[in-house]
Amino acid sequence: MTEQNKPMNDDRFVLIGNDAIASEKIIAPRYSYWKSVARVFFRKKINVFLIIAFVLILLASFVVPIFCPYDMMENVTDATTFNLSPKEAMAKFGKNAPPLKWILGSGVQGNSIFYGIFSSARTSLLLAMACAAINMLIGIIVGAIWGYSKKFDAVMLVIYNIVANVPYLLLISVLVYIIGSGFGSFIFALTVTGWLGISYFLRTQVMIIRDREYSLASRCLGTPINRVISKNILPYLTSVIVTLLATELPGYISYEVYLSFIGIGLSANIPSLGRMISQAQSAFRTFPWEFWPPVIVASLVTIILYLLGQNLADATDPRTHM
Amino acid sequence: MKKYMLKRILFSIFSLLVVIMVVMFLVYTCIQRSVIFQTDDVWNKKSANDRVIYEYIQYQKYGYVDYVDYQSFLANKYTALYGNEYTSNADYIADKKAIQKADSFQSNQSVQEFNAQYSGKGYSVKYLQPITFKSGKVKPGGSGYLIAVHDRPVYLRLIDYLKGLFTVETTHDVEDPELTERYVRFEKDPYSGLFAIVGSGTTHKYQLYFDGRFPFIHQNWIHLNLGTSYTTYRGIEITEVMGNPTGEMKTVRTQYPNQLGTDEYAETAIDFHSLRYNTGMVSDVEKTQFPDKYTVYSYNRSGLSIIETSFVIGLVATIIQYLLGVPLGIWMARHKDGIGDQIGNAYIIFVIAVPSLAYIFILAALGTSLFNLPYKFANAQVKILAYILPTISLALPAVGGLMKWTRRYMIDQMNSDYVKFARSQGLSEREIYNIHISRNAIIPLVHSVPANILFCLTGALMTERVYGVPGVGGLLINAINAHDNSVIVACTVFYTVLSIVAIILGDVLLAAYDPRIKLSGEGGGGR
Repeated sequence: MTEQNKPMNDDRFVLIGNDAIASEKIIAPRYSYWKSVARVFFRKKINVFLIIAFVLILLASFVVPIFCPYDMMENVTDATTFNLSPKEAMAKFGKNAPPLKWILGSGVQGNSIFYGIFSSARTSLLLAMACAAINMLIGIIVGAIWGYSKKFDAVMLVIYNIVANVPYLLLISVLVYIIGSGFGSFIFALTVTGWLGISYFLRTQVMIIRDREYSLASRCLGTPINRVISKNILPYLTSVIVTLLATELPGYISYEVYLSFIGIGLSANIPSLGRMISQAQSAFRTFPWEFWPPVIVASLVTIILYLLGQNLADATDPRTHM
Repeated sequence: MKKYMLKRILFSIFSLLVVIMVVMFLVYTCIQRSVIFQTDDVWNKKSANDRVIYEYIQYQKYGYVDYVDYQSFLANKYTALYGNEYTSNADYIADKKAIQKADSFQSNQSVQEFNAQYSGKGYSVKYLQPITFKSGKVKPGGSGYLIAVHDRPVYLRLIDYLKGLFTVETTHDVEDPELTERYVRFEKDPYSGLFAIVGSGTTHKYQLYFDGRFPFIHQNWIHLNLGTSYTTYRGIEITEVMGNPTGEMKTVRTQYPNQLGTDEYAETAIDFHSLRYNTGMVSDVEKTQFPDKYTVYSYNRSGLSIIETSFVIGLVATIIQYLLGVPLGIWMARHKDGIGDQIGNAYIIFVIAVPSLAYIFILAALGTSLFNLPYKFANAQVKILAYILPTISLALPAVGGLMKWTRRYMIDQMNSDYVKFARSQGLSEREIYNIHISRNAIIPLVHSVPANILFCLTGALMTERVYGVPGVGGLLINAINAHDNSVIVACTVFYTVLSIVAIILGDVLLAAYDPRIKLSGEGGGGR
C-alpha cells in the first residue's frame, strides 16, 4: 500500500538520452540460412550415416576402377569361364587373380561381376549426375522465366503440350540412332527434352510466388526482372528444387536400367548397371549371382540418394528452422 | 461450358496433328532410310539393279516415296488401247524391250511419254542401265529399269494418313456386276438371336451385331486404320494386331448360312459375323455353304486380344491400387509418426527409389519360390494363375505412389479450420478423418483416375517383358527397333489420343466431384 499510493514524481526518472548507435542495431540472433540448413540437417543422426554411405559409394565407384580395371572381354574367348558361380570362379581363378576379383562369380562373357559392379556404378552415377545437372540448370532458368513472363508462357505451353505427347522413348531412340550411343550423346539424348518437365513444374511454383505482395512491392519499386527472379523468387524455391533433385538423381539411375532393359542403352563397350542387369535378367533364376549384385547396388545407390535428397530438402525448408 | 469444351477439343486436335507431324519427321526424315533393309532377307538375296528396284518398292510401301515403274506405265497404256490381251501386242513388246538398250532407249516414243508425263508431275526420272557381261549377256539382277521417283514431303504424308484413317462402308463398296441387290437393313441375326444390321454390297455382311464377346455389341461400318505394319507384323493393320483375338481356334456347334433352318449342324470355328465379300472365285464347296458371295471369314479364337490382355491386367491392378492405396494413405495420416506410418513410409521410399525392374524381379522371385506361381506367361498350366504376378507387380508400386499422395494431401488438410470445428463439435476422430478430411484430400487425386484407367490400354512394357505377357506394351519399342514406321506413328496417335481424352475426362470428373471448381472462366472463382 505504501509504495503504490505515493504520487509520481519526476525525480524518480533519469533522462539517459538517445543512443544513436544502439538504435541502428537489430537485437536478434544472427541468422544464416545455410548454417540453419546444416544445423537442421545434422540434427538427424541418420543423415550423418547417409552421407558417409554416399561418400563411400562415390569413393568406391570412382577410385576402385582405377586400381581394378574392368575388362568385359578379358575371357570372352574362353567359354569355360562363362557363368561361373562364385565357388567355381574362385576355384578356377582364385590362385593367380587378385584376391577379391572372382568373389561374386563370373558373367555371361566370363567377366568379373565384382569388378564390373564398381565400373558400372561409376558410369551410372556419372550419367545421373550429368543428366540431373544439365536438366536442373536449364529447367530452373527456363522455368523461372516461363512462370514469370505471360507471353513466354503462352508459347511454351503450346510447345510443352506437343513435346510431352511425342513418345520419350521414340525421341531417345531416334537421337541415339542419329548421334550414336556413346556416353556424351546418350546424355544429350536424355536431356534434350528432359528439362521440360522440370521447367513446367517450376513454372507453376513461380506463378504462385510471382503475385505475392512482397514480390509485387519489389516490382513497384522498379526492381529489374532478372533481380526479382534471382533474389525474390528462386531463394523461395530452394527446398522445391532440392526435392526435385532428390528424385532426379535416382530417377536417372533407374531410367538407365530401364532403357538398357528394353534395348536402347549405352553402347555395348560401356559398362553400366543397366547393361549388367539386362544381360543377366533372362537367367535370373539359373545364374542368380550375375543378377542380384547389380540390382542390389543400383537399389542401394538410389535409396541412399533419394533419402539424402529428401532429408536435405526438408532441411532447406525455412519452416523447419524454428 | 460448351464453348470451352469445343475450344479444348479443337486445340487438342491441333496438337495431335502437330505431334503426328513431329513423329513423322523423326521417323521418316531423321533416320536413314536404308536401315529398314538391315534385317531383310529378300534384300540380301537381290543384287544389282533388282536390289535398287526392290529398295524403291519398299520405300514406297513404307511411305517414303511415290514410285512409278515404266513397266506398269506400259501396262496401263496398252490396257487402255487393247484390253487385257495387250501382253502379246508387238508394239508393247517392242516398247518393253526398248529400255534394255542403254544407247538408244531415249528415241522410243513410250519412253519419251513416260519422261514427259512424270517430269511434269515433279518426279525425277531415273534410268538404271542394264549391267551386262562382256559377252553382252545380262548379269543376274542386272536388267535395265526406267523409273520415276518422287519424295513424299511430310505434310503430304500427314494428309494421306488422315485421309486413310477412317473408312465408312457403303453399299457401293463391292464392284461386281453380278451383285444385283444392294441394301442395308435390319434383319434377325440367326447367330445371336437378336437383330443385326446386314448389308449387301458392303465389304462386311454384318454391319452391326451382337455376340458373346466383350463389349457384346460390334460394328463393321466404320473402319479405323491407324497404319499397316511392315516388319513387326508383316502386312497386318495395327488395329487388328491390337484388337484381334489370339490363341487357339475355338470350335463350336453351329450352322453355315445355307444350313440355317434345317437340322444340319457343323463343328467349325468360323465366326459368321466376320463374313466379307469375296472378290475372287467362290469355290464349289463354299457355294454349298453360303447363299451369297460373302464367303471370306475369320475364326473364333479362345484367347484374348493383346490389348484386352494388357487392359485386364492393368485394370485389376488399378482397382487394387485405389482400394488399397487411398485407405492406407488415410490410415497413415491419422496415425502420423506411428509405427505403421513409418513402415508405410519405408515402403513408399522403396517403391520410389528402387529401379522398377528390381522390384518386378524381386516379386517374381518371391512369387515363384514361395507361392509356386507360374513365372512365364506361356508356360502356365492354369492360365488364370499367370495373371497374378504381373497384376501384383503393377499394383504394388502403384499402391505406394497413391499412399504417398493421399497421406500428403491428408496431412495438408489436417490443420484446416473445418477440422478444428468438427473436432470442437465433438465428432469422433474416425468420422473426421474418414469423412471430413478424406473427401477434401482426395480432390487432387480424382483428376488422375481416368488417366490411370485409360492408360491400361497402352500396356506395361517392363512387366509384360519380364513375365512374357502377350500384351500391347512392347508394340512401340518393337516397332522402333524394327524401324516399322507406320506402327510407330500408329502408336503415337493412339497414346496421344488417350492422353488427351484422359486429361479432358479428368477435368470433367474433377469439376463434377468438387462443385467449387469451374472449368470455364465465367462464374465461379476462376481468374
